[in-house]
Amino acid sequence: MDLEKLEAILASQSHEFDVVVRIAKEEDIAVARQMAKKLAQEMGFSLADTTKVATAVSELARNIYRYAQQGRIMLRKKEEGKSGPSMEIIAADQGPGIPDVELVLTKGYTTYERSLGIGLSGVKRLMDSFAIYSAPGRGTVVVAEKRRRRF
Amino acid sequence: MHAPQNLSALARKIGRTPAETQLWEEFLGKLFAAEGAQEEAALTSTLRSLAEELEEEPLAAKIAALAAELPEFPATRVFQLALKACGEKRREQEETLSHLRQMLAELATPIIRIWTDMLLVAMIGNIDSQRAQDIAERLLNRVSSTRAKVVIVDVTGVPMIDTVVGGFLIEMFNATRLLGAEVILTGIKPEVAHTLVKLGVDFQTVSIARDLEDALRRGIALTMEETRKRRELALSLAKSGVGENDERGAF
Ligand SMILES: Nc1ncnc2c1ncn2[C@@H]1O[C@H](COP(=O)(O)OP(=O)(O)O)[C@@H](O)[C@H]1O
Ligand SMILES: [Mg+2]
Repeated sequence: MDLEKLEAILASQSHEFDVVVRIAKEEDIAVARQMAKKLAQEMGFSLADTTKVATAVSELARNIYRYAQQGRIMLRKKEEGKSGPSMEIIAADQGPGIPDVELVLTKGYTTYERSLGIGLSGVKRLMDSFAIYSAPGRGTVVVAEKRRRRF
Repeated sequence: MHAPQNLSALARKIGRTPAETQLWEEFLGKLFAAEGAQEEAALTSTLRSLAEELEEEPLAAKIAALAAELPEFPATRVFQLALKACGEKRREQEETLSHLRQMLAELATPIIRIWTDMLLVAMIGNIDSQRAQDIAERLLNRVSSTRAKVVIVDVTGVPMIDTVVGGFLIEMFNATRLLGAEVILTGIKPEVAHTLVKLGVDFQTVSIARDLEDALRRGIALTMEETRKRRELALSLAKSGVGENDERGAF
C-alpha cells in the first residue's frame, strides 16, 4: 500500500507540478528554498508561513543531498474548496531508504555526524500535514502540505 | 641555423596581434639561439606569456603549425614545456581565486571590535556549510587573539535559520564560550523565531538581546563586571599575600 504510493510518487512527471528542482549539489538546496519562498509569496502566504515553508524545503532538500545524494523537490499549488488554497511539498529520492520511519521522526535521532536530528520532526511541526513513505533500497518520499492562512 | 629574419617572418605569420607576434618571435629566438641549449625556465616563461595571450587550444594548434613549418622544431619538448606553463598558469589562477574567495568571506561577515574586549559579528545572507566553517574559524581566532570577553552575534541579515544553520550557530557559541567569552545573540526576526520554535532549535546557552542597542548595553555591563571582578580578585590576593608574610598576623 505505502510501497505503491512510494512508487507512484517516484514515477510522477515534472509537468504535474508548478516547480521542480533537482537536488544534486549543495547549491541546489538554496535554489529549492528560494523557489519555495517565491511560490509561497505568490500564493499570498504570510511572512511567517513563507519562512516556515522555505525552511521545511531547506531541511528536506538537505536530507536528499546528504542521505540520497540526489533527488527532486516538487512544489504545487492546490486550490481546494473549504480549507482554502495550500502548497504541497514533495521531496522524492531513490536513495537508500529509511528502515524505521518512526525512529527517524524522534527528536534527536541522527545518523549524521554532529547533526541535530530534528529536521524531519521539525518539518512535521512546521507543516499542516506530513507523511513519509520509504522502503530500503527503493527510496524515500516526504509529502507535506501548508495551508494559506489569512490574517 | 635559422636566420633571425626568417623566424620573424614566421612569427608574423602565426601571431594575430602585435603582442602575440612579439612573443612568438622571442620564443623562436630563444629556441633556436646560437648558444645552443637554452634554459628551460626562459622558454617556459615565454610560453606562459603566450598561454595568457591565447587560450590553451589555439596555443597547441600554433605549436603544431610551427612543427609543420620547421623540420627541426623540437615539438615534443615544446609541448612538454607548454603543458608545464599552462599548469603554472592554472595553479596561479586557482590561488587568486581562493584568495578572492577568502576576501569575499571576510567582507561578507565582518568581525568588528566595537568596544574594549567586545567583538561584533554581523552575519548577512544565506549560510552554507563552507561559509559557516569559515565564519566560525575566523571568529574563534579573533576571540583568542584579542582576548575578547564578549561576542555579539547579529543575525538580522540572515533570512532563514534551519537546523543546519542553527546547529552551526550553537557549535560556534559553545566554542566561543570555551575560549572564555560570553555570547550575546541578537537580530532574530519574528518569522525566524516562529520557525525556530517549531523546529525545536534553542539557543539556551547564550543570552538573547532584543536589538543591537540592547546587546551593546548588556555587553558593556558584562565587560565592566569582568573588570570589577578582576580588580577585586587582585585586591584580595594582595591582602592575603600580606597576611601570610606578616609574622604578627593581621590583628
Ligand atoms: N531522504 C532520506 N533518505 C535516507 N535517510 C534519510 C533521509 N532523510 C532523513 N533520513 C534519515 O533520518 C535521520 C533524521 O533526519 P533529520 O530529522 O533530518 O535529522 P538530521 O538530518 O539532522 O540527521 C537522518 O540522520 C537519516 O538517517
Ligand atoms: Mg536533516
